[in-house]
Amino acid sequence: MKERIKRETRNILNEGWDGVLGLMNRWGQIGPYLFRDPEELEDIEIEPRYNLAKTIQLMLNKRPDLRIAAVVRGCDVRALRELEEMGKIKTQGLRLIGITCSHEQAEICNCEKPIYDTLNCTGCWKCIEACKEQAIERVNVCPILLPSEYDVGLAKRKAIYIPYAQAVPLKAIRDSEHCLKLAGVMDCKGCETACMANAILHEDHEQIDEIEVGSVILSPGFEPFDPSKFDNYNYANHPNVITSMEFERILSASGPTEGHLVRMSDHKEPKKIAWFQCIGSRDLNRSGNAFCSSVCCMYAIKEAVIAKEHAGSDLDCAIFFMDMRTHGKDFERFYESARDQHGVRFIRSRVHTIDPSAEDDLTVHYITENGSFESENFDLIVLSVGLQTPPQVIELANKLGVELTDGNFCKTDSFEPVATSRKGIYVCGAFQSPKDIPQSVVDASAAASAAGKILSDVRNTLTKTPEVIPETDIVGQRPKIGVFVCKCGINIAGVVDVPAVTEYAASLPYVEYVTNNLYTCSQDTQDTMSKVIKEKELNRVVVAACTPKTHEALFQETLINAGLNKYLFEMCNIRNQDSWVHKNNPELATEKAKDLVRMSITKVALMEPLEEAELDVNQTAMVLGGGISGMASARSLSRQGYETHIIEKSSSLGGQALNLYHTFDGGDVQKKLSKLVDDIETDKKIHVHLNTTVTEVEGFVGNFKSTLSNNGSQEVLEHGIAVLATGGKPLKPDEYSYGKDSRILTSLELDKKFIENDSLIDSLNTAVFIQCVGSREPDRPYCSRVCCTHSIKNALELKKRNPDMSIFILYRDIRTYGEREYLYQKARKAGIVFIRFSLNNKPEVNLQGDQLRVKVRDHILHRPLEISADLVTLASAIVPNKDEKLANFFKLPTNDDGFFIEKHAKLGPSEFATDGVFLCGLAHYPKPIDESIAQGLAAASRAVTLLSRKNILMSGTVAMTNPSYCSSCGVCISVCPYSAPSFIPEDDRFFPGRAQINPVLCKGCGLCVASCRSGAIHLKGFDNDQIFAQIFSLNEAV
Amino acid sequence: MSHWEPKIVSFLCHWCSYGAADLAGVSRMEYPPNIRVIRIPCTGRMSPKFILAAFRQGADGVWVSG
Repeated sequence: MKERIKRETRNILNEGWDGVLGLMNRWGQIGPYLFRDPEELEDIEIEPRYNLAKTIQLMLNKRPDLRIAAVVRGCDVRALRELEEMGKIKTQGLRLIGITCSHEQAEICNCEKPIYDTLNCTGCWKCIEACKEQAIERVNVCPILLPSEYDVGLAKRKAIYIPYAQAVPLKAIRDSEHCLKLAGVMDCKGCETACMANAILHEDHEQIDEIEVGSVILSPGFEPFDPSKFDNYNYANHPNVITSMEFERILSASGPTEGHLVRMSDHKEPKKIAWFQCIGSRDLNRSGNAFCSSVCCMYAIKEAVIAKEHAGSDLDCAIFFMDMRTHGKDFERFYESARDQHGVRFIRSRVHTIDPSAEDDLTVHYITENGSFESENFDLIVLSVGLQTPPQVIELANKLGVELTDGNFCKTDSFEPVATSRKGIYVCGAFQSPKDIPQSVVDASAAASAAGKILSDVRNTLTKTPEVIPETDIVGQRPKIGVFVCKCGINIAGVVDVPAVTEYAASLPYVEYVTNNLYTCSQDTQDTMSKVIKEKELNRVVVAACTPKTHEALFQETLINAGLNKYLFEMCNIRNQDSWVHKNNPELATEKAKDLVRMSITKVALMEPLEEAELDVNQTAMVLGGGISGMASARSLSRQGYETHIIEKSSSLGGQALNLYHTFDGGDVQKKLSKLVDDIETDKKIHVHLNTTVTEVEGFVGNFKSTLSNNGSQEVLEHGIAVLATGGKPLKPDEYSYGKDSRILTSLELDKKFIENDSLIDSLNTAVFIQCVGSREPDRPYCSRVCCTHSIKNALELKKRNPDMSIFILYRDIRTYGEREYLYQKARKAGIVFIRFSLNNKPEVNLQGDQLRVKVRDHILHRPLEISADLVTLASAIVPNKDEKLANFFKLPTNDDGFFIEKHAKLGPSEFATDGVFLCGLAHYPKPIDESIAQGLAAASRAVTLLSRKNILMSGTVAMTNPSYCSSCGVCISVCPYSAPSFIPEDDRFFPGRAQINPVLCKGCGLCVASCRSGAIHLKGFDNDQIFAQIFSLNEAV
Repeated sequence: MSHWEPKIVSFLCHWCSYGAADLAGVSRMEYPPNIRVIRIPCTGRMSPKFILAAFRQGADGVWVSG
């Protein structure tokens, strides 16, 4: 940096400036010195920190005619600005040269605003080539082009770039390896010259921070398998053989083809696409990955369906697969609709080679299930690549001393699914095992819960309480509106005529103050804004800038700091929805900006200060269901410091786990379960209510009152949150002669025999397992997820006890996802015979005298086969414990299969749309023990986000009734998805029977407002008069 | 009539379409500037009166998205 300072100051002196004020080392002492001779600059110093603002003030006041430059730090710049604002200094003759502070320096100074990184970057993109079409017009600032990681190499990026459009924070980063300047190749200053926020610091360097923590959560993710090494698939050589990741980008609107489905070689729209499953998964020989990646079947189906949506239904999509693994919630239905409604072809075959053919097409040869040999041409082939742990993560795990599995995933135990082998270190996501989004989200919450448990003693010890600024009462005041128009560097000002918009805004009614700023969001503008609001006594504010979605909260904070209610604010979007999208039409964009500003001003004039309802959260938790997920949830809640009540309708804790023998990873369920039950029973904060049901629930989030009923005696429990872990049960089969012979069992009944060491087990010679009993049937079109693994596990157990036993597993698709796949491999090695059947050709179980005979058609021999069995195990479906009354108490929806519908299928799997109610275990969907426990922890984690706040401020933009207009029709009550409206009790003195809205539950969607036939409901912040004001002020616009 | 341009008023849900309109900007897509966006908290807020009012103000089209 010193060299740059020397160079810059020398240039300044050569340009004829009178001098440069800086630091100089003279006689062993460093002090301020006015350099006048370029030769002297050899001795300029930049360390240590030495404030020069005062010196500059003295010099300039004494010699106002001087034209000098000064080498200063950020704190000096701020001081000079202050002095200038106070009128104590005039800076026309002053030029500043900035020095970057080192991280250490900032720490010594305890500096709040050190200038040492890209804090100043506003994400304006000016430093980056803005877009492909504009490349000629705009300055193509960075000369480097590299393959974009986000577009998996299908598009290019610069050495300075914003990784992707939704990046948080939305700021540019530099690739230190490839940036010409940073790599020391040449003195390129392209981005530095372009940046108007002075955010580019060439002297910036990597910093190592040390943070003391009590717990670590590992979520390093996965890398997609690289199929380049398979020369038979020609991925490396042929542009039309791509990976599923690349195909995702091609389908994406923000991708290299903007969502237009074309192939890479000639940009032709493909007519036929094939997907190859299990590339780098379930393939120990060639890829080294023996596990199943769990997600590829589902994403391939999704890609095929979306491809058809993009390209039209005549696009031919074929998926080549081994077993179709759609074991997630609602996935089986999606698979069926892809096949039956969308016409996606599913071909059960593993293709060996992809041959390039004429016109960049590809030919494949394969053998169908019937044994016939086929050849087919495709325009594009997508390799469904698997998920694997990247080498650097393996290295990290080794460094941390965290054990890995055979497949290089993090080793965990079914009963502690997010705990690594090292105490205090937890894991979530695809590093735990290959998994999809919902399961990753569950894991993430579970890991947070596990970490929260060990950190509960120090919760809230690092929080700071913000200073509360008293709110100015503006009621009855005439609107005095301040309008701040942002230039956003040139992002807005480059297209929209900002001065014209500013001038126009000043001409509008009630507007008291108007200004424009280079960057309205910068910290110094915020301070100025706050000052202006106070000085001019503004009572409404409009900021015309970017989008309220990212910046509303920031400006509202400024209003609060100025003592204004934060709802007296409106943001006007003249960047994202104006200058950025109309860059070739500056005149009309300016007109649009004026219209939008006018609409915002008329709306804000009608805004009123709003109150935010405060909600006290009762610190007690209620867990419904004493099964394994309910207990896991309760234990986590209690260990995080909350009184917890478990309500169990049966006479013991344990639920379905009481019937299970071993987990897939070999854990003894009964041993671990009794430890868990013991933990619960000895926990002083956990209160177990056996033989108890809930007969009534009143209240809402934070303040529930539930009536518990136990053998006729009733008790009221007040609690802040509820976790529903109401579980599921095995379906009692009505086929395969179940119930007619004691040798025909369900999977759980077989487990029971293992647990009890039944003598029957040792007398067996032939055993048959039948899969999908009641699952994946028209009545129950879902996969029960656990049965394949369960049957294989039990088959192996039988084989262990009697290696000579003949075992047959009759299945439709084997769904041993993740590292459960090893069991399937082990079973095949052990000689267990797997025979596939289809839904329209199911096996038959007959009793012939004393003999149990199973008939099935062999899928390889294409011949019927009859097996004489000693034992038939039916892998019966898991069905939920339907409890409509309970669902009604909390207003919880269930799907067609009777499982609860969570808040969001992907992002909110462990909570309900109803606030304060959480979900885990089999009531959500069939799942094994590890996933049940993870979800139990996740539900606790989500609950703690509420409990730990003790009281919560709700949004002020909520609906409110005017009961004197209400006709008690009840429409609002029936339409509200959040149960916020209710009738005022009949015995109330005022307005009995009319509607009222609980501001705590209201989400401000306005559904009730729009549906109220009496006009009795108002939505604060988006009321009729405010929206009409916007519409009526359109008249000049439209 | 050859230069006639429709005037469109759109009511966009804060949570989805409004965000999508922002993303169109971030992605530097382009569309004609004949559109005025009114942000609403949810399309559930939409009242037929808003549509009629917009037409009465001279809109040629009203687009509700959410």
